[in-house]
Amino acid sequence: MKKSRLVIGATCAAMVGALALTACSGEDGGGDGQITFMFRGGPDEKAAYQAAIDRFTEETGVGVEVIVTDADQYATKLQAAVAGNNVPDVFYIEQANLQSYVASGVLMDITDQVDELGVDLDNIWQYGVDSYRFDGELQGTPEGRLYGLPKDVGPFAFGYNKTMFEAAGIPLPDPDVPLTWEQYVDICTRLTQDTDGDGAIDQWGTGPNVTWNLQSLVWSNGGDFVNEDRTQVTVDTPEFAEALQEFADLTTVDGVTPSAGDAATLDTYQRWMAGEIGFFPVGPWDVSVYNELDFDYDLIPWPTLGDGGAGAWIGSLGIGVSGTTDLPDAAVELVTYLSADTEAQQTLVDANIQVPNLIDMAEEWAAAPDAQPANRKEFLDIVQDYGRAMPAAYTYGAAWYDELWTNIQPVLDGEQTAADYLAEVQPRMQALLDESIVNAEQAFAGS
Amino acid sequence: MTVIPTLPRTRPVARTASTSGSGARRESRAVNIVLLVVLSVFAVAMLAPLLWMFTTAVKTKPEVFALPPVLWPSDPQWDTFARMWTEAPILSGFKNSIIVAASVTVVGSVTSSIAAFALAKMRLPAKNVIFLGLLTGLMIPYPTIMIPQFVMFSRIGWVDTLLPLIVPLLFGNIIMIFFLRQYLQTVPDSLIEAAKIDGASYLTVFGRMIVPMIRPAIAAQFILWFMTVWNDYLAPTLYLNSPGKQTLQVVIANLNVEYATQRDYPLIMAASFVALLPILVVFLVFQRQIIESVALTGTKG
Amino acid sequence: MSRSAASEAALPAASGAHPPDTCPLPRTARQRRALHRTEHRWALLFVAPPVLGYLLFTLYPVLFAGYASMTSWNGLGPMRFTGLDNYTRLLGDEYFHQSLFNTAFYMIGIPIGLALALLLAIALDRRIPGRTAFRTIYYVPVISSLAAIAIVWQFAYNGDFGLVNQVLAWFGVDGPNWLQDTTTVKPAIILMMVWKGLGYSMLLYLAAIQSVPASLHEAAALDGAGWWQRLRNITLPMVRPVTFFLVVTNVIGGAQLFTEINIMTPTGGPEFSSASVVWYIWRQAFRYQQMGYATAMAIVLGVLVLIITLIQFRLNRRNSFSID
Repeated sequence: MKKSRLVIGATCAAMVGALALTACSGEDGGGDGQITFMFRGGPDEKAAYQAAIDRFTEETGVGVEVIVTDADQYATKLQAAVAGNNVPDVFYIEQANLQSYVASGVLMDITDQVDELGVDLDNIWQYGVDSYRFDGELQGTPEGRLYGLPKDVGPFAFGYNKTMFEAAGIPLPDPDVPLTWEQYVDICTRLTQDTDGDGAIDQWGTGPNVTWNLQSLVWSNGGDFVNEDRTQVTVDTPEFAEALQEFADLTTVDGVTPSAGDAATLDTYQRWMAGEIGFFPVGPWDVSVYNELDFDYDLIPWPTLGDGGAGAWIGSLGIGVSGTTDLPDAAVELVTYLSADTEAQQTLVDANIQVPNLIDMAEEWAAAPDAQPANRKEFLDIVQDYGRAMPAAYTYGAAWYDELWTNIQPVLDGEQTAADYLAEVQPRMQALLDESIVNAEQAFAGS
Repeated sequence: MTVIPTLPRTRPVARTASTSGSGARRESRAVNIVLLVVLSVFAVAMLAPLLWMFTTAVKTKPEVFALPPVLWPSDPQWDTFARMWTEAPILSGFKNSIIVAASVTVVGSVTSSIAAFALAKMRLPAKNVIFLGLLTGLMIPYPTIMIPQFVMFSRIGWVDTLLPLIVPLLFGNIIMIFFLRQYLQTVPDSLIEAAKIDGASYLTVFGRMIVPMIRPAIAAQFILWFMTVWNDYLAPTLYLNSPGKQTLQVVIANLNVEYATQRDYPLIMAASFVALLPILVVFLVFQRQIIESVALTGTKG
Repeated sequence: MSRSAASEAALPAASGAHPPDTCPLPRTARQRRALHRTEHRWALLFVAPPVLGYLLFTLYPVLFAGYASMTSWNGLGPMRFTGLDNYTRLLGDEYFHQSLFNTAFYMIGIPIGLALALLLAIALDRRIPGRTAFRTIYYVPVISSLAAIAIVWQFAYNGDFGLVNQVLAWFGVDGPNWLQDTTTVKPAIILMMVWKGLGYSMLLYLAAIQSVPASLHEAAALDGAGWWQRLRNITLPMVRPVTFFLVVTNVIGGAQLFTEINIMTPTGGPEFSSASVVWYIWRQAFRYQQMGYATAMAIVLGVLVLIITLIQFRLNRRNSFSID
């Protein structure tokens, strides 16, 4: 009796041991001249990066193991890898996470290596490079140390349905001069109509989603989400309130959008693609799909509310090097290939999914005669001139920023004024921002 | 289990659907027809989303977003089902999923059944505490357990292998144990005692007597477990890096790019649809076990 | 497990004549204890694998989580002990309370689903043409991957042209924007959950119903019992073990609701009205890098579920009566 139990127990232990040993034979990809690169993306990115990686391996003799992940679970997988001491050598980073990664030693300072490799940082968008700089206090300043290079810059531009305008007999907006808000609402009103006479409106001026479209309005009115050194939440200013109110009024007062609830879903995207919406935002990632649509479209600056000039946000994703990599030099070199290799960039641009990272290439691309959309120079204007980072990109975490959107629906439905809501939400946002600053201090103190 | 004193039975009657309702319980034809209609309506509701999955698989990318929605595309892209195999490592995904699901369910069913037998029918001090203790393992949300488990497996080098997905589950599945325990509680102890008196060892009692009795229950749980393991994507996403090692659900999840406009929904739907088929096969094979063979040996009801 | 004296006394009769010295029945208390000890050992052996698995793979993470819940860990760097800070923070966190409420609300789907499943099982127990086909069809949602289903239902719930509202339009009902309206988002998700789980519960009920002897129903019918009375007094009690199992596992599973919410309402729903506890945990852990805090929430949830489960077990024991 006891004997058989011992026997069984011993066999089990032996099995587990054997399994463990056989499994141990492969360490994580950081051994013997091989580095791991983890990212998320579609077939176009995979193809472009694979080509760049092949050239990299040829040049340096270092192999690269590519790990592609589901976009939704990327952050989770990376965090698990950090906890388990299994970090890939090269990986994507989001601007909002940069500081916490630096504080925890997850990201390597690559300023010197990039310098040595002779990468012409001036030929990469300054916004892109600076986004991954950190000087110990503020992120995004030109003097900070470099912790990554941009995978891309994503200027969020504004577009309009050219075919619809022409059919309605409305003069096309100027590609360089932004519309004033009054002009904008006026055009929207003229476009919102029942085109096939069945009694139901089937064409609207616009269909914006507040999370992505409010920023340009606030900035053009002179308001902002936080103050300059990012310690104070400034959403309760009159300029901000006016912008939010005007935004909500588009639906409730002017009636130029499909319902506010629809805007939060894929709904307005689909309506735009079906040609039912007059004005709609366009990001570089949308171009490949929008170019195939049944109507002509083009880009213009965002409409302005006040005197702040046109505003737009620029997204970005970066590529960084692990702080615990075994092959730092090779890893940094791979980063430069992925970020600045001309052929890889050309592949991505030809697939119409991003703006080139290299300035000279971009300007050529914008000036091309068969450009579609015609005014794609607008993307470059945003990156170079008037675009700004998303409000939460440079703070330590985005909790304070998310708080703004969670309960904003009543404002959009017309059940609460913008001013009231902002006065309510500012203290909550401030508390979260304060908390994140404390977390930042603790994290850096511990490192 | 509540049992009304069993009415005398002369011999075991296998209750198949064809014999049920026979005899004194005449089934009203009219009621049956009404039920048929109701069931069919519900059946359509059950299938509709899946039919939509199938039709989306043969649409073109823009057609997915078209307004008004396209019910059946004018030009069905059947080649989506073909290109699915080359554009993503679907075949190796199938292979890995089968390895994981089959090994876990087969071995795990054995360990779970034996454990359920012990917890239901054998004398063991504190066995209810043990049972509840095992149950608590389910109550802590997965995200919390996920990271320390990953750290553990990372230390022994099991990342990017199928082992973390298989080994822990070989030890048994508490849900299955729970269900089998419930089922076993309806078996009178007298049967077991009789077998023990006859000198049978516990293993024999288990193998010869218990297993045939609880076969339908094992089959029901087997299907569910197979399906849970097959469809799991959180743990495999964390552990599996190389495309050659990834299970099917991870491969499908990786098709999910960031921007909705870039997502290849037809491909995702086609792959998800095809991913259904193996489980459907398992289900069809095992469901007869559950329903048709309730040949209990005359002591249970 | 109670052992009635009756069954022990019945044994000698079952094994036939009563041979004196070769009878293996334990006569003395000491012999009985020895026999039991053997049984204990075997039982221990049988139970060893799951217990071992638990100790190796679940206990350590749970203990780790317990410690982490008392730190300000961000998941990346070192852990700093902060005592019960996270727990006091929980008490004041309105979002946590909201997510608890949401999760509890989702449990409403459980009795609805079980009632439907039982009715379905009863219906499919009859001689209806196409029984097997129906059973398979009803089971198909169960086996589809949750992620794909969530995407499909997300499209189906679209306010203007989703499948659900199109069907409602046939009846002249103007369907709401299901996932964007605070009052309809939770029912919408409950509907999807019921839809998905129906086949499985139905199958288990069907198996249980089919083991109810026809003679019971016949006898009752002869005594003049109607359909409803037979249901209440014969069927329901007979399937009670299945019901208990389904309720307990569904409560435990329902408390872990995450993927559906994450795919259908990625931001936690309008005004946080669809966020479940695990969804909020996930967000805190991986988006805001508040791993310590998230773990504290997880522990609280686990304890709550444990208490509820224990109560269920107690209630079940008190209400069940068995005749061996």
